[in-house]
Amino acid sequence: MNARVLTLLLRPAKGENAVLALPVVAFGVVTALVLTVVGGAQSFWTWTDDYAPVYQALAAIALVLLVVPLTNLGGAAARLSARRRDERLSTLRLLGVTPMGVSVATVIESVLVAASGAVAGVVVHLATAPLVGLIPFRGTALGTDAVMLSPLGILAVVGGVLLVAAGSAVLGLRRVIVSPLGVRMRTTVSTVHWFRAIIGISVLALVFVLVKVFPSVAGLAVTITVLAGLFAVALAVLNVIGPWVLKVSASRQLRRAERADRLLAARLVLDSPKAAWRQVSGIAMASFMAVFAGTGVALMNVMNSGEATDADAALAVDMRTGLVITLVASFVMVAASVGVNQASSVLDQRDLHRSLHHLGMPLDTVDSARRRAIMSPLLVTAIGSATCAAVLVFPLLGIALITAPESLLTIGIVLAVGIGIVWASTRATRPLLARSFETA
Amino acid sequence: MNDSVLDARSLTKSYGTTRALAGVDLTIHRGESVAIMGASGSGKTTLLHVLAGIVTPDSGTVTFQPSTGEPVQVAGLGEGARSRLRRERFGFVFQQGLLIPELTAVENVALASMINGVKRADATAHAASWLAALGLAGMEDRRIGELSGGQAQRVAIARAQATGADLVFADEPTGALDSHTSQDVMNALLWSTTGQGRTLLVVTHDADVAARCSRVVAVRDGQIVSSAVTA
Repeated sequence: MNARVLTLLLRPAKGENAVLALPVVAFGVVTALVLTVVGGAQSFWTWTDDYAPVYQALAAIALVLLVVPLTNLGGAAARLSARRRDERLSTLRLLGVTPMGVSVATVIESVLVAASGAVAGVVVHLATAPLVGLIPFRGTALGTDAVMLSPLGILAVVGGVLLVAAGSAVLGLRRVIVSPLGVRMRTTVSTVHWFRAIIGISVLALVFVLVKVFPSVAGLAVTITVLAGLFAVALAVLNVIGPWVLKVSASRQLRRAERADRLLAARLVLDSPKAAWRQVSGIAMASFMAVFAGTGVALMNVMNSGEATDADAALAVDMRTGLVITLVASFVMVAASVGVNQASSVLDQRDLHRSLHHLGMPLDTVDSARRRAIMSPLLVTAIGSATCAAVLVFPLLGIALITAPESLLTIGIVLAVGIGIVWASTRATRPLLARSFETA
Repeated sequence: MNDSVLDARSLTKSYGTTRALAGVDLTIHRGESVAIMGASGSGKTTLLHVLAGIVTPDSGTVTFQPSTGEPVQVAGLGEGARSRLRRERFGFVFQQGLLIPELTAVENVALASMINGVKRADATAHAASWLAALGLAGMEDRRIGELSGGQAQRVAIARAQATGADLVFADEPTGALDSHTSQDVMNALLWSTTGQGRTLLVVTHDADVAARCSRVVAVRDGQIVSSAVTA
């Protein structure tokens, strides 16, 4: 494909500004969040005292946690990009452009959209740095200079976001068939085997034993490292179990559904439990981490309330601050991802929606079904992951609930607000659905 | 079959500077099957949309006489009331079926009744009986992607009937099918509508499909140019 054809393909069409704005905003949010979190984390690397490695390790974990929702968001934006261009992409295929050529064009467009968002994200980062600099660590505000990344650092983050956008676009396109006759989603029903549950529960049991045993046989540094590793393993296990749990939950809802929207919502989840899981898996991590780390932080607060050093006391407070920041960032990214996915899905089914309008189906029924198809897995995931983490740290959680309920309450409120943000993002795409219900 | 189920008078409709309907008068009698034919852009689909209350005309009236109850001025209803009318009294069959891909065949048919407040068990049983009557027994639990084009279209026909519609509108119902499957689908459509004392209005390009109907109405430049009873 030559540059002229590519330019024609990438030129924005009339009336699609709202759809184009969605991924741009999404990538703007991602970039601003990553810059802010990396900016905050970099300030820890300037410290050289004994506690510095702990801060650095925790910051690194927080950054790793944000990779999954970031990747999901990139994939969602790429699929939306493909849907938005469906007629042009199909025409290109009709004219003989290879599937590879169409994929390249779509990936380039995704990267350009991501770049627009990234620029906006950089502006937001620079504008909010003074505010972020007010967040206290070790009892004093970090300061604007400390949280603002260097130009090279900003370039590196933007480059990383673009790389993720390109990679996710390639992965996202595997779920879309661009044929000369149109663009459609792959319709193969994904199967989720119960064997996943056996593997998952077995590994979780092993992790449970190790979590109990390790602190009593190893030193603090080794224990932190091993616990972090086990934390990662537990998260990986959640990814194995998650789709199966959603399938079981949706099957139950399907059997009990008496209303049209509930029936449709359950079927939307059962159509691809893996896709439903992908959309909310960021919440699984956030929720799991909230209970797992939140319990630890709450207990540290209690233990430090007596004869702890100032540094120990500051570490406990700072860990809670960092946890809340990571939770908020995770939820915002999942909310952006849900918004983009919903927009993509609405575009994908606009002919169907128009026909449903002709049949007289109320907009509210379809709207309720698609929102339920997001919120039900979200709640199952958030509660399920929190329960998994609670089982792993069961006695400690009990102690924390009694001795430091306010710490856990704070985290609980953050989780509730996060779920609210995702709910709001599902509401935000209602106007797009309403437009696809309108007659041509 | 002389009582009218739908009566349209002096319908006009324009999209920008394009005049889609230019003073259409049309009466559809209960129990008849009417084919509306015309070239692309002739206004036949707009006519179907206006008659079905999907869009409102710029001027003119559409009066629907249900099998029970008072006549309804379709064009004078608000959006919500027209949606309800379509949901409860009309049935629709589209060219591509346009069924919900995530649902099974029986769920697609039952959904319309469930929205009208019928209990799921009753709606499902009624839907299954329609599927069986249309030759789809044993396929109730198949997803739409697992059905052939003709089978999917018969599911759409069952959906159009499941709510007990007085009048079924079909927009190019065989447009995506081969000739043999088209015949099967038209058999099913006619049996389930006029065969049960209901009324069918079909928009089609296909002369063979039109010939199966009891009357053919030709539309050109937004006007009815002929209306002939078939042999």
